[in-house]
Amino acid sequence: MSAAPVPLGSGGKELSKPPTDGISNLRFSNHSDHLLVSSWDKTVRLYDANANVLKGEFLHGGPVLDCCFHDDSSGFSACADNTVRRYVFGSGKEDILGRHDAPVRCVEYSYAAGQVITGSWDKTLKCWDVRGASGPEHTLVGTYPQPERVYSLSLVGNKLVVATAGRHINVYDLRNMSQPEQRRESSLKYQTRCVRCYPNGTGFALSSVEGRVAMEFFDMSETAQTKKYAFKCHRKTENGRDIVYPVNAMAFHPIYGTFATGGCDGYVNVWDGINKKRLYQYSKYPTSISALSFSRDGRLLAVASSYTFEEGDIPHEPDAIFIRSVNEVEVKPKPKTVPAPS
Amino acid sequence: MTSLPKNHLSEMETTCETLLHELQVIWDEIGESDPEKDKMLLELERECLEVYRRRVDQSNKRRAQLRQAIADSEAELAAICSAMGERPVHISQSNQNAGGLREELKAIAPQLEEMKKRKAERWGQFLEIIEQIKKISAEIGHSDCNSSDIALDQSDLSMRKLEELTMRLQALQKEKSERLKQVFDYLKSLSMLCEVLGLDYKETVSGVHPSLDENEGSKCISDDTIVRLECAIDSLRKVKIQRMQKLQDLATTMLELWNLMDTPIEEQQLFQNVTCKLAASEHEITEPNTLSEDYISYVEAEVLRLEQLKASKMKDLVLKKKTELEEHRRRAHIIGEVGCETEFPIEAIEAGAIDPSLVLEQIEAQIAIVKEEAFSRKDILERIEKWLAACEEESWLEEYNKDENRYNAGRGAHLTLKRAEKARNLVSKIPAMVDNLAAKVTTWENERGADFAYDGVRLLTMLEEYTILRQEKEQERKRQRDQKKLQGQLMAEQEALYGSKPSPSKPLNGKKTPKNTGVPNRRLSLGGAMNQHSKTDIAHSNRAIRAAKKADEMGTLSPVSRGLDIAGLTVRKLSFNATSNNTSRESEVLRKPFSQVKPGNQLAPTTPVSKPLASIPADIEEENRPPKTVPIIASKTPIAAPSPSPMQVACTPAPVALKFEEENVKLSPEVEFSFEERRLALYLSR
Repeated sequence: MSAAPVPLGSGGKELSKPPTDGISNLRFSNHSDHLLVSSWDKTVRLYDANANVLKGEFLHGGPVLDCCFHDDSSGFSACADNTVRRYVFGSGKEDILGRHDAPVRCVEYSYAAGQVITGSWDKTLKCWDVRGASGPEHTLVGTYPQPERVYSLSLVGNKLVVATAGRHINVYDLRNMSQPEQRRESSLKYQTRCVRCYPNGTGFALSSVEGRVAMEFFDMSETAQTKKYAFKCHRKTENGRDIVYPVNAMAFHPIYGTFATGGCDGYVNVWDGINKKRLYQYSKYPTSISALSFSRDGRLLAVASSYTFEEGDIPHEPDAIFIRSVNEVEVKPKPKTVPAPS
Repeated sequence: MTSLPKNHLSEMETTCETLLHELQVIWDEIGESDPEKDKMLLELERECLEVYRRRVDQSNKRRAQLRQAIADSEAELAAICSAMGERPVHISQSNQNAGGLREELKAIAPQLEEMKKRKAERWGQFLEIIEQIKKISAEIGHSDCNSSDIALDQSDLSMRKLEELTMRLQALQKEKSERLKQVFDYLKSLSMLCEVLGLDYKETVSGVHPSLDENEGSKCISDDTIVRLECAIDSLRKVKIQRMQKLQDLATTMLELWNLMDTPIEEQQLFQNVTCKLAASEHEITEPNTLSEDYISYVEAEVLRLEQLKASKMKDLVLKKKTELEEHRRRAHIIGEVGCETEFPIEAIEAGAIDPSLVLEQIEAQIAIVKEEAFSRKDILERIEKWLAACEEESWLEEYNKDENRYNAGRGAHLTLKRAEKARNLVSKIPAMVDNLAAKVTTWENERGADFAYDGVRLLTMLEEYTILRQEKEQERKRQRDQKKLQGQLMAEQEALYGSKPSPSKPLNGKKTPKNTGVPNRRLSLGGAMNQHSKTDIAHSNRAIRAAKKADEMGTLSPVSRGLDIAGLTVRKLSFNATSNNTSRESEVLRKPFSQVKPGNQLAPTTPVSKPLASIPADIEEENRPPKTVPIIASKTPIAAPSPSPMQVACTPAPVALKFEEENVKLSPEVEFSFEERRLALYLSR
């Protein structure tokens, strides 16, 4: 086929006024199509994805490595200056919930527990109660040591999955944080990039720097564990050589339970984990996919195309956020077709 | 009156006494003996007693009769009263009445008479109501259950019963009126349906029940008739819906055809009432005859006519558009998908295999894409033209330079001299031109993320090849120059030795310089083929070139083939590589973009990496063949995987089949760091 150029805009609507440095994460609100974006340019930005409007910008003391919504009007951020902050979008009010001893890598808010959970490179996990009186001594609920630096967190219901360096995976129950419920080693051989729980709460997906995703289950019974598997993705064969790209981001569809993966190859793939099928591949984005998020109804997919530093400090494409409206056919599971009698 | 019997008795007594006296006298005269006298007197007394007794008996009997009559009357009265549900009249008191039994009887008689009359009246009412009930029941059609129900029974003629019956009658009357109303409703909807469907109403109705057809007069309202009416309406409605759907389908097709062929408004006006019903629901269609068979077939005929018109026009349109597309492509020096839209539409349209309008749409979309692309290529294309012209001049100049008689003053020699001067000037500018062009193309490719192909060949490759050829030529020239110098020295020596001097102008030997046009041969052959419009040639040569160039192009596969790669081809390729010579693969260096092309790599496919593509035709087929189903659409959204592709699932922990690139993952064996950690370190160091 001749090199037909990819039609412009096929990656979805590009948000105006994107962050000026790498995008560390983005998340849709659970109540609206607002999008919270954290960036290496020391800011957290709030966009209205539908109207393509930048609604707010909150400056930090260092690169922001993660962010999440509290409710529709406030959010939390994890900053490389070791702080965990809370922002009220309307008033611009900011308080520091507390500090870690090293940059805070990830932040999650649990509606079930009413707590903020942060993971840091200081090899700890901290829980914060935002409802409590102000002041760090009241806000901090507990500090839980981890075997290694925390790289990724994911929550579903009362389950918390922590992925750290050294391929450790700890599964906690939020109601009893004193001990991990399960201590596992990643079934992938290489560094964990991202962990995301299934929306149905039965397990979690792990992605690694070596173009692979593992599908895991909480239930340790033998029957449940036989269902687990891993698959290769985000690879390219060039001159007979396999080029393998890290899988930076995963996002589950809130309704169908299918999920999107984004890799350093600039592709976003949508998978059906149950039927083990790839449902869709979106056209290539300018550079690595650093983060993905489905909106609350699954109609929109936010894609952060932003160089993730996998090859060090090299010139790269500008950082961009694309809002793609999702077609049902791209995310709806396709059950295995019954083989037709020949 | 009362005095009369007394007188009569006393009279009778006196008569008796006188008669007895007379008898005594007679007897005395006769001289009857006393015993005789006594005997006769006793007889007389006895006779008298007898007469009395008989009388008493008679009277007694009469009294009994009277009493019986009274009792009977009283009983009858009581029966009637109870039947009529009324309180019995008081009778017993009159017993003490001095009037005697006769009086009593006389008193009862009128009462009885009165009651009898009333009973008869009541009975008449009952009869009347029952008659009506029976009649209506029969009309409604459930007489069977009712006739036995209201069997005539005179024992209960109470008002309550009458009321009951009246109520029943009223209920029946209500039911009847309701049924009548229902029947009329049904008849009305039936008539509307018949009107819309163009059917004969009278016929339809009399088919249900003959009585329904008559304008006046009673209509049959039995259950059966109603059910049949319902059935008739139902079936007609079904027919209506069916026809309506058909008509709407026709209307839709018609609208599409109009749109497609720009049918004049006057022509459309005729069918306005069809198309305006396009979105109407069943009950909205009420116009007479809109759904009659005749009308539908009329519309059908029109659609058929339009279809035929379209079929003839479509081919022209598709052909026209296709030529337009080809023209656009040719001008922009883009090669379309091999054997895809260039080949199939016309045959397929003729065979009726595909919808020409679809093809038309696809071609139009393609034209838009090509136009857009052509616009972006315009600047570069102009430069290419200049470069090619310069190359032509260069080759001409080369030929000219080889001409030994070029300085002979023949006719027009001054013109060639001038041209040569110009050409030399131009040729000196070629390297700058090529560099410029390469820079432009590189930015273009970076912008678009795709290769810039000129008539199917990547322009950068063309430029690289040209540069190489030029360098080779330069070297050749230098070598020749050196040789010439050497020769000159040799000659000088020879001259010094022998004193003769061969002509210096003769070529040194018969060795041919490679016939170098300055432009890659394949480009010209392609261009030539292009100009001759022989598509199949292009396709073939193009395919062959691609196969040869595969090794270079792997890094920048077009999106679709890349999509195919990921979808499934990788597996095949990997397995191939696994069986092929591993050492040769490892020894092969990955070619960086813009680096020198090694001729061996490209022209002589000896390494196993470039060979498989030639040796496994299935692979090439798969790569080059456009997706069968929707060829043009696929090119619009090239990445879309046409169907879900299976994951490359491996058991966990999966063995790493191929060593992945260390540069990409950069795992330090000592301490592992994530990209973010490394980035922050760098961030802080700045």
